[in-house]
Amino acid sequence: MAGAMQNRRGLIVTLLMLAPATVLIAVFLIVPMLIVLGYSFAGRDAYGGVVPGFTLDSYRELFQPLYVPIFWNSVKLAFWNTVLCVLTAYPIAYFIAFRAGRFAPVLLILMLIPFWIDFLIRISAWVVLMGRNGMINSVLTATVLDEPARMLGTYGAVLVGLVYAFLPSAVFPIYAALQPIDRALLEAGRDLGAGPLQNFRRVTLPLSMPGVMAACLFVFVPSMGVFAIPVLLGGGKSIIIGNLIVQLFLDFRNMPLGSAVSVVLLAFSSLGILLYMRALRRVELART
Amino acid sequence: MTGSLTETAVLARGQKTRIWIEANLLGRLSPAVTLLAYLFLFVPIVVLVVYSFNASRSTVVWSGFTFAWYGEVFQDRGLRQALQVSVIIAFVSALVSTAIGALTALAIVRRRFPGRDALSTLLLAPMVLPEIVMAVALLVFMVALNITLGYFSMIVSHVLITVPFATLIVRAAAASLDKRLEEAAADLGADEWQIFWRVTFPLLLPPLVTAFLLAATLSFDNFVMSTFTSGVGTTPLPLRIYSMLKLGITPEINALGALMVLLNVFVVVVVMGRHLSLFLKR
Repeated sequence: MAGAMQNRRGLIVTLLMLAPATVLIAVFLIVPMLIVLGYSFAGRDAYGGVVPGFTLDSYRELFQPLYVPIFWNSVKLAFWNTVLCVLTAYPIAYFIAFRAGRFAPVLLILMLIPFWIDFLIRISAWVVLMGRNGMINSVLTATVLDEPARMLGTYGAVLVGLVYAFLPSAVFPIYAALQPIDRALLEAGRDLGAGPLQNFRRVTLPLSMPGVMAACLFVFVPSMGVFAIPVLLGGGKSIIIGNLIVQLFLDFRNMPLGSAVSVVLLAFSSLGILLYMRALRRVELART
Repeated sequence: MTGSLTETAVLARGQKTRIWIEANLLGRLSPAVTLLAYLFLFVPIVVLVVYSFNASRSTVVWSGFTFAWYGEVFQDRGLRQALQVSVIIAFVSALVSTAIGALTALAIVRRRFPGRDALSTLLLAPMVLPEIVMAVALLVFMVALNITLGYFSMIVSHVLITVPFATLIVRAAAASLDKRLEEAAADLGADEWQIFWRVTFPLLLPPLVTAFLLAATLSFDNFVMSTFTSGVGTTPLPLRIYSMLKLGITPEINALGALMVLLNVFVVVVVMGRHLSLFLKR
C-alpha cells in the first residue's frame, strides 16, 4: 500500500517536472503551427483579413511567375551555401581532430566565438569591407583594378555572407563525428598497407558521414529562412523565402499567403530532416 | 610516411600521383584551409573593432584615434532604450528557460516514464525547425488571441528557442553526476526535497549558471524571433541595429559592434569555455 502511494507520488512529481516544457512546446509551438497550417488554407478579404474556410488559393498563388523564382533562388543559394560550408568545414574539422594536438581546444573555442557574436554585427563588418570605398576595394584598386568593383548588392556578396554566418555550424557536427574515431583503426589500415588516402576513403570518411550529413542539415535548412543577409549584402535584389515571409507578414499583412509560404518552407525542412534520418540509418546499417 | 627517396623513384607514375595527392591534400591542405578559414572569420571582426576608433567617418582612411563614437553610442537615446529592452528580455527569458530546462533535464536523466525518448526528441524541435516559421507561428497565435505584442510575446519566443540549449547543458551535467551522492543522502534519511536542495542543486549550480548565460546570450542576440514578436515601443537592440544598418553603416555601429563583440567574447571565453567543452563532447 505504502509502495503504491510512493509510486503514485513519484509519477506526480515526474509529471510536474515535465509539465512546463510540455506546455511550452504544445501551446507555443504546436498550436501556433497548426493555426498557420489552417490559415494557409483560409480565404482572404480585401484588407488581408483571414476568412475562415477551405481553399487552395494561397498555394495556387505561389505557382505564379512572381514567386517561383524566389523559391528557386532560395534552394540554389542554400545548396551552394551548403556545398561551400561543408567543403571548407571538413578540412578544418579534420585538422582540429587529427593534427592540431594541444591547440585543438583553442581552435574550438575560437570557432565558437563568431558563433556567439551578434549575427548582425558580423554581417555589418562585411558591409564595411565590401562597400564601394571599403577595405577590399581599396586593396584591389591599389593593386589590380582601375575602378572599385561592385560587391555589395550582388549574388556573390549574399553567398559570402551566408558562408560566413553558417561555417561554424558545419564545423562542429563534422568535428564531433571525426573526434571519436579510434586511432587504432587508422593504424590497422596502415599496417594492412593502406596509404593515407585509402585510409581516409575507407575509414575516416565513412565514419564521419553522419557528421557531414548533420552539417548539411544545419546549414541547408536555416539558410533558406535567412532574411537579413539578402537585404544588407544583396541590396534586397536576390531575395529568398525568408524575405518573402517577412514581406507578406509585416509589410503586406497577407496572412494566408504568408502562412502558405511558411508551410512550404516547413515542408522543405521536414524533408531535409527526414532525408537526414534515413541516410543516418543507412550509414548505421552499413556499419553493423 | 612515403618512404625514402630511392623507394619513391622506383614507384610507377600512378603511384607517385597518389602519393602526391595524399601528402598534399590531407597533409598540407587541411592546415592551409583551417588558417584561411580562421582569417576569413576573424579579419572582419578585427577590422570592425579597429575602425571603431577611427577619427574620420571613413571606413578606409585612418585619421587618428578617437573614443568619440563610443560616446555617441552611450548618448543615443534610442539605443539606450533598446539596450534596456534587450537586457530585461534576456534576463527573464534566460531565467525561465533555465528553470524549465533544469526540470526537464532532471526528469529525463533521473526518472523513468513512458515516452521519454520521444519527449527528449520533441524538445529538440526548436533547434532544427526553421526559426522564421516558429516566429511567424507565434505572431499568428498572438494576433489570433488578441494579445498585444511586447514583452510577453518576445519572452515566450525567446524561451522557446533557448530551452533546448538549457536542457542539453543541464542534461549533460546531470548525467555525469555521481548518483551515489544522492543515494547516500537518502540513506541518511533526507527526503526528496532535501536531497534536491542540499545535494543535487549545489552540484548542478555551475552548469545552471552556464545554461543561464548561454540562454541570455542567445536571447540578447536574437533577431529573427524578435522581428515578428516585438511590439511598438519594445524594440530590442538587434532590431535597432538592423534598422540602423539599413540606413547605412556608420562608425557608431562599429563602436556598438565592438562593445557587443567584447561582451560576447567575455561570456564565451571566461565563463563558459570549460562547460561548453563538456557540452560539445556529448
